[in-house]
Amino acid sequence: MVVAPVGWPEKVAELVAEAGESGRIMAIRTALQAIGAMPLEQQGRPFKLGVCRTFTIEAQLDALTLALATLPCQPEILVGELENIEQLLLDDKAHMLKAEPNALLVLWRLEELHPRLVFEHDGMSSVEREKSASDVVNRIEQLCAAYEKTGTAPLFLSTLPERFTFDRATNDVYAFHGPRRAVQRINQALVDIAAQSRHIYIYDFSGWALENGSLAFDLKMDLYARQPIANSALMSFGVKLADTFKPLLLPAAKVLAIDLDNVLWGGVLGEDGIDEIKIGHDFPGNIYRRIQLHALALKRRGVLLALLSKNNLGDVQQAFAKLPDMPLKLEDFTAIRVNWKEKSENIKEIAEELNLGLDSFVFVDDQEFEREEVRFRAPQVSVLSSTEDPLQTLNALMCCRSFDVYRISDADIRRNDDYASQAQRRKLELKSDDPKEFLRTLQLKARIDFVKDETIPRTIQMLMKTNQFNLTTKRHLKSEVRQMLANPANVLLLLSLSDRFGDQGIVGLAIALGNPATKESKIDSFLLSCRAIGRGAEQALWSVLLSHLSRNGYTVLKSEYLRTDKNQQVADLFQSLGMERLTGGTKDCTEFTLNLPYYPEAPSWIDIRNVV
Amino acid sequence: MSNKKQLFRVFSDVLKVDVKSLDESSSPDTIPNWDSLAVINLVGELEQIFKVQFDILEIADFQNIGIIKSILEEKGVFFNDV
Repeated sequence: MVVAPVGWPEKVAELVAEAGESGRIMAIRTALQAIGAMPLEQQGRPFKLGVCRTFTIEAQLDALTLALATLPCQPEILVGELENIEQLLLDDKAHMLKAEPNALLVLWRLEELHPRLVFEHDGMSSVEREKSASDVVNRIEQLCAAYEKTGTAPLFLSTLPERFTFDRATNDVYAFHGPRRAVQRINQALVDIAAQSRHIYIYDFSGWALENGSLAFDLKMDLYARQPIANSALMSFGVKLADTFKPLLLPAAKVLAIDLDNVLWGGVLGEDGIDEIKIGHDFPGNIYRRIQLHALALKRRGVLLALLSKNNLGDVQQAFAKLPDMPLKLEDFTAIRVNWKEKSENIKEIAEELNLGLDSFVFVDDQEFEREEVRFRAPQVSVLSSTEDPLQTLNALMCCRSFDVYRISDADIRRNDDYASQAQRRKLELKSDDPKEFLRTLQLKARIDFVKDETIPRTIQMLMKTNQFNLTTKRHLKSEVRQMLANPANVLLLLSLSDRFGDQGIVGLAIALGNPATKESKIDSFLLSCRAIGRGAEQALWSVLLSHLSRNGYTVLKSEYLRTDKNQQVADLFQSLGMERLTGGTKDCTEFTLNLPYYPEAPSWIDIRNVV
Repeated sequence: MSNKKQLFRVFSDVLKVDVKSLDESSSPDTIPNWDSLAVINLVGELEQIFKVQFDILEIADFQNIGIIKSILEEKGVFFNDV
């Protein structure tokens, strides 16, 4: 279902829903017009998508544009000539790459990649069939190897849909050994390529076809115009596309804030007592067990869990200790709020404690009252459409795309440990009066290095996700970062931090764009991940950056602070780091300057390993 | 809206031309936007509005609005000419 994002005018949301439901061309165009008439900041950022394909989609672009627009973003879809995939993706003089798309998508089917294998496989020997499948895999591998070297925009390759129409008879073993096996082999190869690549990703066309079954494709329009995707399934195709690009355009949520009674187990602990609580392998406890397993899976992908329950803490502790078949343990929760306060209040407290924005939270509760309270008092929190029906809660969790990321990084997996040690650090902080003395006890070690190919993903991740300690909040795409890296006058530095409680990985980024002609450099981005705030790490990064620029003969450094709702804690940072504030500027943009050479003092409490 | 009005509305919407400029003799020869892509859209819209399915060879006969109207009539869609 196409749904307008929260915050769009009601009228526009209605038009979007109507267009999604009817699928009628005019309804779609009307909705697109209404979206286009909204203020640009409500429409989201521009997103140019280049599509290479082996079949026709031209008549269906309006519907796909609408689905993407609801992310929200301002989509522009460029479609390349049929079949011309290698040229479109590799030739930078061809129109596709010249248009500098933010992402590229390849839609293909075995029907066009190897028609013989689909339509005449019964006439082929098993050796021929194997060879044909290998040929397709080789072609894709070569394409990807070449793109890996030259490409800049993230490339999304679709998996191939596996079709029952490949079969000549029910349970046709020849089809299993022919086209079906080929599709499985090719899809496996695609997934393997994406897993090892720096900027190749998967669009699960095959998964979409599976979800939509016999309604996915339309043989009549396929034969008439080589337009296989059925109009009746088009919107779901568009929504899947939008879901696929979402992590590219929007930061992922970080915390699942979840209720306990009638969500993580059946029954109300305070009223029914521990003996009446339903959890386990049998119905109905199995529903709640599945919800717990899903929460645990999210935790293993780096999502933090927060428990919000109106209960007595002692009862809850006892229940977690005594109940068998509980996949979740109390230790799995980074934050626990078992009290009688408003849930929005608890979420705000946790947000502050973890140094996260409220928009990093997804809230789950079976009570409409609680959901409404959070929607009203903390509107930035994403409230899941759960109900008193636990199956609905499970389904809503499984369909929730807020936590989607393309790859689980080591930092994601480590995040839970990080926050646990952060809680320990905070306890230590409370004991010590002089902040520097406290910092010294942490035995901080920083390492500063240039952005390299292998650290680009983390660079992008920080640009996308960091809100609070971020002076400019520029959400650069991978293609933009690659362009910056290509110019040797630009300096892109990463800061990694560790202390005696653990390694926090890469937590800071500074980008300075240089002009060798004027000997002037300008700070494009300067940011610290929230788990690194309050250690003076910014001073370490600053001293290395300025020393580097000074050594390279730069005479002026410019910078600006671009105000957002979230980054006010760093409004005075550039001044405190020694820059001079320029007069003028606006409420949202303050400019600074500094004459170089300038070698700032490095913080004495951090052991800096400078690789620059 | 009468079926006839709806029919012309579809052509005017899909082909992006004023409904007044259309009559039953309107065809790919008289309307520049009536290209192969427009046919795909016309099939989709007409099938949805009139709840019919065109046979694949009927699509090849989409030569002007009058012919398409008579194909629809064969499928039980009534157009009262009042």
